[in-house]
Amino acid sequence: MLPMSFRIHILAAALVLTAGSAAAQQRIATLDDTALAAQACNVCHGSQSYLSPTMPPIRGVDAATLYTALIELKTDKRPSTIMGRISRGYSDEQLKALADYLSKN
Amino acid sequence: MTSNISRRNVLAGLGATAGLLATPHIARAQASAGRVVVIGGGFGGATAARYVKLFSPETDVVLVERDATYVTCPFSNYVLGGFRDLSSITHRRDPLRQRYGVRLVRGEATAVDTNARSVKLKDGASLPYDRLVVAPGIELNYAGVPGWSEQAANTVMPHAWKAGPQTALLRRQLEAMADGGTVIIAPPANPFRCPPGPYERVSMIAWYLKNHKPKSKILVLDAKDAFSKQGLFMAGWESQYPGMVTWIAGKDGGKVESVDPRGMTVTAGFGKEKGAVINVIPPQTAGRIALDAGLAEQNGWCAVDPASFASRKAQNVYVLGDASIAGAMPKSGTAANSQAKVVAANIAASLRGAAAPAAVYHNTCYSLVTPEYGISVTDTYRPGPQGVAVVPNSGGVSPAQANAAQRKAEANYTMGWYAGIIADTFG
Repeated sequence: MLPMSFRIHILAAALVLTAGSAAAQQRIATLDDTALAAQACNVCHGSQSYLSPTMPPIRGVDAATLYTALIELKTDKRPSTIMGRISRGYSDEQLKALADYLSKN
Repeated sequence: MTSNISRRNVLAGLGATAGLLATPHIARAQASAGRVVVIGGGFGGATAARYVKLFSPETDVVLVERDATYVTCPFSNYVLGGFRDLSSITHRRDPLRQRYGVRLVRGEATAVDTNARSVKLKDGASLPYDRLVVAPGIELNYAGVPGWSEQAANTVMPHAWKAGPQTALLRRQLEAMADGGTVIIAPPANPFRCPPGPYERVSMIAWYLKNHKPKSKILVLDAKDAFSKQGLFMAGWESQYPGMVTWIAGKDGGKVESVDPRGMTVTAGFGKEKGAVINVIPPQTAGRIALDAGLAEQNGWCAVDPASFASRKAQNVYVLGDASIAGAMPKSGTAANSQAKVVAANIAASLRGAAAPAAVYHNTCYSLVTPEYGISVTDTYRPGPQGVAVVPNSGGVSPAQANAAQRKAEANYTMGWYAGIIADTFG
């Protein structure tokens, strides 16, 4: 069995590739706190129009899986280079909202 | 989608006459969607143009940029290190037009009439706007280092703080110097573009010298007493380039008082030093157009509302990126990219008469100590009473103690970050 992080990576890559091949990202449909905050992730993790070959993709990943990952990163239960430092910039509720948004957008 | 974009381009291409030719229905639709002019097509301006289109595709977005292509300052130190070439850090903006319908205007903005809401270009053209984004980057202060000049920079003492020909010049000088020479690097006082940049440059030049001219030395004559990621950089120099780098703080006489381009010497508080290669990184201000448009404070930088990056000096104008006074945020590509998303959201919301979402900002600056040894600083920010402030108990720098695999992982992520931000900025 592959480690969890690799399984997420492969699953998400498949989902994002599907989305990415359909069309370049043309519109961010919602304009609220979470939609704006989520755009920060694009810099490293890519977006609907760009799949990073280096960074784990996060868009289209199951919300509960993403939320668990973010909380474990925040508490250093899951080791990381910078995501621990970044996730501590958000409340658990904000991370939940981000996970929900990224899973659907 | 293609037909919509081309229809917009055709209408937009008609410029000032579009309103006369278009039907009243279309004219009204365009008026309510608004027109945004962006000055400057770097990390901040290009991101702002792209995200206004993503949040509000019906808005007419015009990006004014002087140069045909963009050579990134990030990764230009790797050209100096000898493992990237300039073409790999040179980017075109065409996808902004092709995929998002941003109108690209090649030209130089020379004046802004903030009352009439119009930008004047060098060729005489005027661009009216409903909202203006000013993202001109930095202006170098050649007079800020006595003895130095633009001519000296273009011949013998490059700054290489705007990437392109200056980067190539500094690289050629490193290649031409004899083994055993001294490279002098003189970073400025705060604030300046890319706080870790001079020290990553030290690392990358050390990497080149270690592999090709190992008897050479690097002398850093600093105007400051401390610098970004200092502990990590100094530990990295000690372990990777033992004995090669000497850093002298401003308080210990490191501050450069003058330079002599003919004699290739630098005079600092502690005395005079001769360099085989001398890299002067001068003091800076906001880009020229921000100063000329009256958007800057006495200190040469532009004050903004920390919740929106709206100018403190003019209505319907936003200043972002290196030109702005961004509180705790550094002048970095990632910071500009993040500020641009907040600005785009504010513009999209204001054009439709809606409340803007809450601002949250992000910065990550990776630096390489060697091609396989990366370090980082990252922070999350929100607006506060004293300006943009770090969210407490978050962010920070890479751990002081880390194994080679962790440093290697951050070097890999440095590459991933670059590819990602280029895609996120230029589409």
